[in-house]
Amino acid sequence: MNDKQTTRRRFIVAALTFSAVATNMPGISWLKSSEAWAKADDDSASPAMIRLARLLFPHAGMPDSTYRAVMGDVLAALAASPDSAGLVDAAEKALDARRGRPWVELGEVDQVAAVAEIQGEAFFAAILGAVRGVFYNHPQVWEHIGYPGSSKEFGGYKHRGFDDIDWLPGDVS
Amino acid sequence: MTRQYELSDSSVVVVIGSGAGGGTVANELAQKGIDVVCLEAGSRMTLADVVNHPPTMDGLMGWHDKRIGPMVWVCKTVGGTTMRWSGVAPRIQEHEFRALSTYGQLDKGTTLIDWPLTLEELLPYYDKAEDKMGVSGTHDIPPSAETNNYKVLKAGGKRIGYKEITSARTAINPVARAGRPGCQQIGFCNSGCAVGAKWSTLYTEVPAAELTGHFELRTQAMAVRINHDKSGRITGVVYADADGAMHEQKARAVCVAGNVVETARILLNSESSLFPDGLANSTGNVGRHYTRHTFGQAMAVMPKPVNYHRGTRQSGIILDEQYHKPERGFAGGYIIETLSLDPWNVSTWAGGWGPGNTAFTDDYTKLAGIFITGEDPPESVNRISLHPSERDENGLPVPVIEYRDHPNTLAMREHSLKMSRAIYESLGATDFTGSDIPVGAHNMGVARMSANPDDGVTNRWGQAHDIPNLFVSDGSVFSTSAAANPTLTIVALAIRQADHIAERMQARTL
Repeated sequence: MNDKQTTRRRFIVAALTFSAVATNMPGISWLKSSEAWAKADDDSASPAMIRLARLLFPHAGMPDSTYRAVMGDVLAALAASPDSAGLVDAAEKALDARRGRPWVELGEVDQVAAVAEIQGEAFFAAILGAVRGVFYNHPQVWEHIGYPGSSKEFGGYKHRGFDDIDWLPGDVS
Repeated sequence: MTRQYELSDSSVVVVIGSGAGGGTVANELAQKGIDVVCLEAGSRMTLADVVNHPPTMDGLMGWHDKRIGPMVWVCKTVGGTTMRWSGVAPRIQEHEFRALSTYGQLDKGTTLIDWPLTLEELLPYYDKAEDKMGVSGTHDIPPSAETNNYKVLKAGGKRIGYKEITSARTAINPVARAGRPGCQQIGFCNSGCAVGAKWSTLYTEVPAAELTGHFELRTQAMAVRINHDKSGRITGVVYADADGAMHEQKARAVCVAGNVVETARILLNSESSLFPDGLANSTGNVGRHYTRHTFGQAMAVMPKPVNYHRGTRQSGIILDEQYHKPERGFAGGYIIETLSLDPWNVSTWAGGWGPGNTAFTDDYTKLAGIFITGEDPPESVNRISLHPSERDENGLPVPVIEYRDHPNTLAMREHSLKMSRAIYESLGATDFTGSDIPVGAHNMGVARMSANPDDGVTNRWGQAHDIPNLFVSDGSVFSTSAAANPTLTIVALAIRQADHIAERMQARTL
C-alpha cells in the first residue's frame, strides 16, 4: 500500500470513528480492525446503495461513479466490524419491504418517502453517519463543491487569496 | 541535554500532562532549576506529521479512550490540546472573577462562587502568558491578518452596530517571532499547525524545558494513580508505559494537568484508606462543577464567495456581547468568533440528509461561520465520576460524564444565534443555520479553586486544600467558566503556580 492509500485509509477510519461517536455506534473497534478492510472494492455497492447515497446527499451534477466509489469504501468499512457488518443488508431489506417491491425501482418521490420512513431506525443513523463521513472526505466530492483539499503543500493561502474578498459593501468593510 | 531521572528520585516534581497547563508549569519550573519529570500519555509528533485535514489528525492525536456520556474533544499527544486549539486568547474580565457577587446564585442548582483571586493579581501573569504565546495585538505584535471570513464578520458586525471588533488576541504569529514563523494561512488550525506559527507546547515549552537540563519528558506514560504516605503527603505517581508495564516515579510534589476528565479520574482513582473518596476530595467537590461553556455555531450562505477554508480558522472576535447585561435575559456574556469547517463538519452540523443538508455543502465556497463561547454557570450535578464496574484497556475505571445545559445557557445560546443570524442577514445571506455544539472542547471545573474548602478542591494557587504537595495545573481549577476561551488563562495560572511552587521550595515549606 502506498503512502497516499495509507493516508486515505487513515482518514476514512477517523471519519467513521467520529460518526460512530456522533451516532452512539461502537466505533473504536472499527479503528482497530482497519487493516481488515483496507482493500475497498469500487464495484461492491449495489445499484440500490448507490441510489441511496445520492438521495442522502444529492449534489446536482455529481456523477454516479463518485457515489459508487464512496459506497464501496462505506461497505468495506462496515463489513470489517461484526457490529456493523449486517447494516447495509438490513437497510436494503427494510427499504424493499416498504412498498413490497424493490425500492430501487420506485419513483424518486416514493424512494425519498421510504427512506424517511426508516430514518428512525438505528441502522439508518449508522449508515447515514458512515456515508457522510466517507462522502465529505472524498477528494472527488471536495472538487465538486469547491474545496481544494490540503493547502500545506502549496504554502497555504498567504499569497493565494486568504483575504481576497471584494464584494463587501464599502461603508462597513 | 535531556535529563533522565531515576524512578526512586524523590526530589523531582512530577507533572502529569504536557499541554497548556502541564507543559507550561513544567517548563517554568525547569527554567528555575527545579527538576521535573513530565508524564505524557500520548506520543511525540513532529511538525512533519501534521496533515491539513482535521479528521486525519483526530485519528492521530485525539483522545479516544472509552468514556460514558457526552463527547469530550481533547488530545492525547505531546502538546495536548494546544495541538488542536484555534489560538484565540482573550482575557477573563474583572467581573467574571467575581461571578457570584456579580450575578448572584441563579437558582437552587447553580454553584457559582467568586474566584479566590482577582484580575489585578493575574494581570502580570496574563502579560507574561501573552508574551510567551505571542498573542497578536500585545507586546508590539500586530493584529492578525484579516481573513475573508473575518472581513464578513466585521462588516456584518458593524452593520448591526457592534463596536468592539478585532483580529487581535490570537496566539498565532502574524509575523515571525521567538523562533517561530509567521502564519502561512494554511487553514483548519485544529489539524495542528504544520509550520508552528500557532503556539503549542510541543514546539515551545517542551523543547525549552529540555534545554535547561532539568526536565525529562516520558511519552506514552499514562498516569493511573497518585500515591501518598501515612501522613497524606504525596510520594509518587504510578503510570503505565507503552507496553502496559506499571512504574512508580517518586515525587516531591505533583502537578496534575490531564485536561479535566483525566484530572478528575486520576484524583478519584487514587482512593485509599486515608482518602476513601479519592485525593483532595474531603469535601466531595472533585469532579463536580464541571463546565464546558455555552457553545454555539452558526453557518450562513453568503451572496458571493468567501472561501473560508483559506486562512486561520478563528481569526477575529466581537466582544460587544461579553459583558453582563441582565436585560438580555441571562447572566454573563459571550464572545462571537469566526469559525470555518471542513466539508464533512459542514454536513454534520447542517444535520439530517437530503437537499436541506446539501444546501450548505453545495455552497461551500460561499459559507461564512461563527463560533460562540460564553459563560456557563457551574452546577453540582454536572460532573465527572468513575463507573463502578466498567474498565478501560489500562484497567482504569471508565469516566462517566454528566452534563446538561442550564436554562441560562439555553437563553444565552438563543440570543447569540439570533445575533449571528442578524450579522449575516445584514449582508444578504441566503441561508442560515445555527445550533449547539454538544462537545466538550473547553473543559473546566472539577478541581476548582475556592476560598472556602467546602466550595472547591484547590486554593488560590491551584494547591489542594487537603494535601500541600498536590497541585492542579489545568482548566480544572477554574472557579467558574467566564466567557473567554480558556487556554490563555490556563497558561497565566500555570506560570503563577510555578512561581508559587518555587517560592515554597525555597522557603522549605514544600
